[in-house]
Amino acid sequence: MGGKAAIILVMGFMVVLGYVARDITVVASRAQGNMSTYAAATESHNLAITGANIGLSKLYQDTSWRGTRTQKPSFSPNGSFTYTIFNGANGRPVLRSFSVIDGPFETIRDTVEVLFGAQTSQSFSLFFWMTNFEGNVFWITKDTVWGRVHSNGALHINGSPVFMQKATTSKGFDPPKVGVGTNKAIFKDGYETGIAPITFPTDLSQLLTASTSGGRKYTGDIYVTLSPGTAADNDGKAYVRSGNTSSGAIIDSIDLSDLSFNGVLLGTGRVNVEGKLDGRLSIASQTNVWIQNDIRYERDPQAGLSNDLLGLIAEKNVIVADNAANNSNCEIHASIFCRDGSFFAENYNTRPVGGELKILGSVVQNERGAVGTFSGSTLKSGFSKRYRYDDRLSNESVRPPCYPGFFTTTYAIGSWWESVHIPKFN
Amino acid sequence: MQYILDYIGAAILGSALLLIILSATDTAAESQSVYNGDALVQEILVQTAFLLEGELRNMGVGVPEGQPTILWADTSTIRFLYDINRDAVPDTVEYYTGTIGDFASTQNDLDRPLFRSVNNGAPLTVGSVTVFRFRYITQLGENLATPVSSTRLSEIHSVEITMEVQNPYAVNRSAEQIAAGERTALYSSSLWQQTRLASQNNRR
Repeated sequence: MGGKAAIILVMGFMVVLGYVARDITVVASRAQGNMSTYAAATESHNLAITGANIGLSKLYQDTSWRGTRTQKPSFSPNGSFTYTIFNGANGRPVLRSFSVIDGPFETIRDTVEVLFGAQTSQSFSLFFWMTNFEGNVFWITKDTVWGRVHSNGALHINGSPVFMQKATTSKGFDPPKVGVGTNKAIFKDGYETGIAPITFPTDLSQLLTASTSGGRKYTGDIYVTLSPGTAADNDGKAYVRSGNTSSGAIIDSIDLSDLSFNGVLLGTGRVNVEGKLDGRLSIASQTNVWIQNDIRYERDPQAGLSNDLLGLIAEKNVIVADNAANNSNCEIHASIFCRDGSFFAENYNTRPVGGELKILGSVVQNERGAVGTFSGSTLKSGFSKRYRYDDRLSNESVRPPCYPGFFTTTYAIGSWWESVHIPKFN
Repeated sequence: MQYILDYIGAAILGSALLLIILSATDTAAESQSVYNGDALVQEILVQTAFLLEGELRNMGVGVPEGQPTILWADTSTIRFLYDINRDAVPDTVEYYTGTIGDFASTQNDLDRPLFRSVNNGAPLTVGSVTVFRFRYITQLGENLATPVSSTRLSEIHSVEITMEVQNPYAVNRSAEQIAAGERTALYSSSLWQQTRLASQNNRR
């Protein structure tokens, strides 16, 4: 009796423990399966990316290459990738990379497709100095230029100006040979002539659109005074008055940290500007922008970290006004863009000697303007120049809001698409 | 007399074995429940992460060059353009979290839904999260304050995503197992972080 009971007890014990052991095994194998699935999905994705990167390398070595290659890399014994480069509907190359890998429960496939932009947009603020025409103004001894320089015309040289970064021109130099005659220019980062002209935009429509969709647009002449607010960061304001004096009634006050404001302020008439900026702003005029007094950033990027950025953009000219405030030095922190005009000083050849014109930013203009006159090395009227590139602008993504850009044809990646694969778990 | 002693001995031994079996079964069931919960949480997390990561990597696909890709960037909300069905028309995709009240029926007092909405349509719940956080980083490594101002959205170069998923159902613990400040219930949880997710399309 006792012996039978013991056998039954032991068998029951075995059944129960067997059930428990089975459950534990199931959970353990499921965890293992999940890990394998996750690893396979990740590997499949990485294989497709690898194929795309190898395909990119192939294309950049030979942009005319078209074809298909399959590789079974040693680091992935169960997987392979295939990349294909072919011409798309617009004639531009398309790179497609597929991966295949045997997962624990299914075959996993991933795809990466890369389209190449016919053109890529770049900001004019990448250049410290750019002109369509240099006019009859010369780069002379003691001029030192930081930042890239380009002219769609010819750069006039008289003496030994120093260009710290690469200088390029579409029409060469005047005199044409560097180091010969009066052309003793020093190019610290080289130069290149005969490059394709960089086309200016045909209008400021992008800014106009931005000013009416999230920005501000004013009709007639306005006077903009920039106020840095408190010592805190990003609490600046812009006060807008109608007319051309700083004493008129304020018609608008813009909080530059307002998230609904896109950073574009445009006037249809003359736009006068002065003050200290705390924030990011583009001030544009469909005629001329007049600088009435110093314009500075609250935080000087040369002295430390700063996120202040200003664009002064004019359909015609950006002009340093001939007034008392400007005639004892003038300092401008901004990226200046004159689409169909120049940056110059009002009455540059008759105004009193005004000391130094300091610019921290960049100057892009249709035709080079003058800010003073010299006799030998003596300033006779207007300003002597102290221009400095704002190095932050050399980063393509750092530019004043909606600052004008230009297009260049490249094989830059226009669109990179990856399939989204959601792993299925057992 | 002898067989009475046998019966008593067998009863004691049988009871002891029964108690051991019951205890072992109970422990095994509890462990299995915890492991099962862990596995479920990891599966939910991985599936949500793959979806989120996949779509964020595709930010900007089909968006004309020079146009903004990210439209809104906040701590737990991101809205961006991406041509989902490759029909040359960029779609607006938004990820955002709901409130704890949206999941009032679950035992977990921290979980909330993660919504995905396309072209401002009805939101679809794509996950359940207890932590869901974005950080936005520029090419120069600056952490942008959130919500990112519209003038700086184009500077976003990479996105850091932090996500935690917890089991909506708890494993109760005895009082002595609960340390000061801890919740009374134990929830399986998994944390996932993608520290530098950069869409190739943001580098244009």
